[in-house]
Amino acid sequence: MSVLFNKILKIVLSTSVIWIGCQRDAQNTKGQTIALIVKTLNHPFFIDMQKGAEESAEKLGVHLIVQGAEREVDVEKQMQIIENLIQRRVDAICLAPSGSKEVVPGILKANKAGIPVLTVDTRVDTSALNEAGGFVETYIGSDNYEGGRIAGEYIAEQLGGRGKVAILEGIPGHETGDQRLRGFRSSIQHHPDVDIVISLTANWERDQGFNVFQNILQSHPNVQALFACNDLMALGAIEAIDAAGRRGEITVVGFDALNDAKKAIEEGTMRGSVAQYPLEMGKLAIENAYRVIKGNKIDKYIPVKIGLITKQNMDAQLIE
Amino acid sequence: MKEDMKKYLLHHGRQFGTFLGLVVLIIVLWILSPYFLKISNLLNIAQQTSINAIIAVGMTFVIISAGIDLSVGSILAFSGVVLAKSIQIGLPLPLAILMGLSMGLLCGWMNGILISYGRLPPFISTLGMMSVARGAALLFTKGRPISGFSGEFRFLASGEIFRIPMPVIIMILVYIVAHFVLTRTKLGRYTYAIGGNEEAAVLSGVNVKLCKTMVYGLCGMLSGLAAILLTARLNSAQPIAGIMYELDAIAATVIGGTSLSGGQGTILGTLIGAFIMGVLRNGLNLLGVSSFIQQIVIGSVIIIAVLVDMALRRPKK
Repeated sequence: MSVLFNKILKIVLSTSVIWIGCQRDAQNTKGQTIALIVKTLNHPFFIDMQKGAEESAEKLGVHLIVQGAEREVDVEKQMQIIENLIQRRVDAICLAPSGSKEVVPGILKANKAGIPVLTVDTRVDTSALNEAGGFVETYIGSDNYEGGRIAGEYIAEQLGGRGKVAILEGIPGHETGDQRLRGFRSSIQHHPDVDIVISLTANWERDQGFNVFQNILQSHPNVQALFACNDLMALGAIEAIDAAGRRGEITVVGFDALNDAKKAIEEGTMRGSVAQYPLEMGKLAIENAYRVIKGNKIDKYIPVKIGLITKQNMDAQLIE
Repeated sequence: MKEDMKKYLLHHGRQFGTFLGLVVLIIVLWILSPYFLKISNLLNIAQQTSINAIIAVGMTFVIISAGIDLSVGSILAFSGVVLAKSIQIGLPLPLAILMGLSMGLLCGWMNGILISYGRLPPFISTLGMMSVARGAALLFTKGRPISGFSGEFRFLASGEIFRIPMPVIIMILVYIVAHFVLTRTKLGRYTYAIGGNEEAAVLSGVNVKLCKTMVYGLCGMLSGLAAILLTARLNSAQPIAGIMYELDAIAATVIGGTSLSGGQGTILGTLIGAFIMGVLRNGLNLLGVSSFIQQIVIGSVIIIAVLVDMALRRPKK
């Protein structure tokens, strides 16, 4: 009995592995291999990134390996994947760090093996990296400044170049929020008749967005537009507007294009939300990894385009 | 006498089978990937396997005693953040490490006391601890990771002695000691006795309650040890570390031939089980197989291993 079952175990094991072997792409030892290591592959953001990476890998004729942990927060699994792909002798690694400090030892190992690392979507902690003596080629991520600028232009246009605007800020000192804010302010500066009458923080949170904007409606009842540095605060503010019985009277623009925000745009309670383009991010990652392999210099920061979703362009966005 | 011989052969035949499975797996991966069978990759696999393998040792004790421990991942996180905090507030390294270990031990003891003296089913007790320890870790750190440690501490994960990574050395030591404890000491033999037939163990004068408490304590302490290695490896202790590690540890134990109904199993088998999982993950990464398929493969291996196990153990009349 025992022998029989051992045989079965062996057969099943080996066939399953052979089956997987057939799954793999033809392992071309001649061409370049680029690895894209994302946080997880069960998130639409990273699935889009993978799609973009695949497109440009095909165009460039490089072999692409995309791997991600089962869970977004599992840094240890991501470390294992980095180590394993170092063993696999890939020519470059594009990495979306699961933990901006925790992946540093993995980056060090890649450095030691002479494999260039490009970070995508999330920055690696610069001080931790420098302290450890590690090095990354670049950071490829959304241009939050540009996102804020687009939002500013849109609001100015919606107001017809004249009006009073409120801002809900994120947690002070967060780089992403600060960039969005600076971009927004700079574009409003070009419209002398559009005034920012008040700018307060709601700490990225929906319920605080509600409270803070309720207060703003009290102190500045003539506010015509709101820019919230993320969608959660915008959605909170929309509830406050509803509660004040002023639904649709104020032009609200958020950031991130969350599903709830898209629904609000559909319903008309929200005017627009700035969206990121993971597909583009994936493309740029592979293109720049390719340049690094070819020995070309690339910028330390590569911004990824960013765009505004409104009711008018939403259907097109969905198809894309 | 003849029966004993038969049993012995059957028992070791099973372990031999698991080992053969591992060998076949290695041969297949060697054929499929030119990068697989290199010393550097094998050391890499051993290092990646070490954390799960160490947790699985505790799990093996628990499962042999016919129990289960779902809280190892959470205990790992809690011990890890306590250790990290101890280092951060300036405790000497050995003391901080001791803090981490004793936190694991305490949580494990708590499990053991609830199970043996509180008469809770192990599943319930450790399920509760899984949530309590996780919550404690999050509360203790306010949800943020604690990072940045000295080179001496990180040596525990990144150091090498004769090219062998420290975690691998620690793992080997743990396995030698655990094998000795399980086969040569009272605690070990009683663990088998309890798992085989708890009533009989009580009647033959085994202090079952104390013994169970020790077994769960051991399991918790080994989670604490794994926490030390993980924290050193990532140079950071995360309150969300170790989620679902219990499943990996149970899988390694079960693939290694330990019976979930208790009374049977070996430490060596668990090591092989842990390596089967480690080799599979590594190999699938090398081949560029997606994580979705990896999950299917690993799940299938667990099911097949247990199917084989059950078929072998079915009494023949």
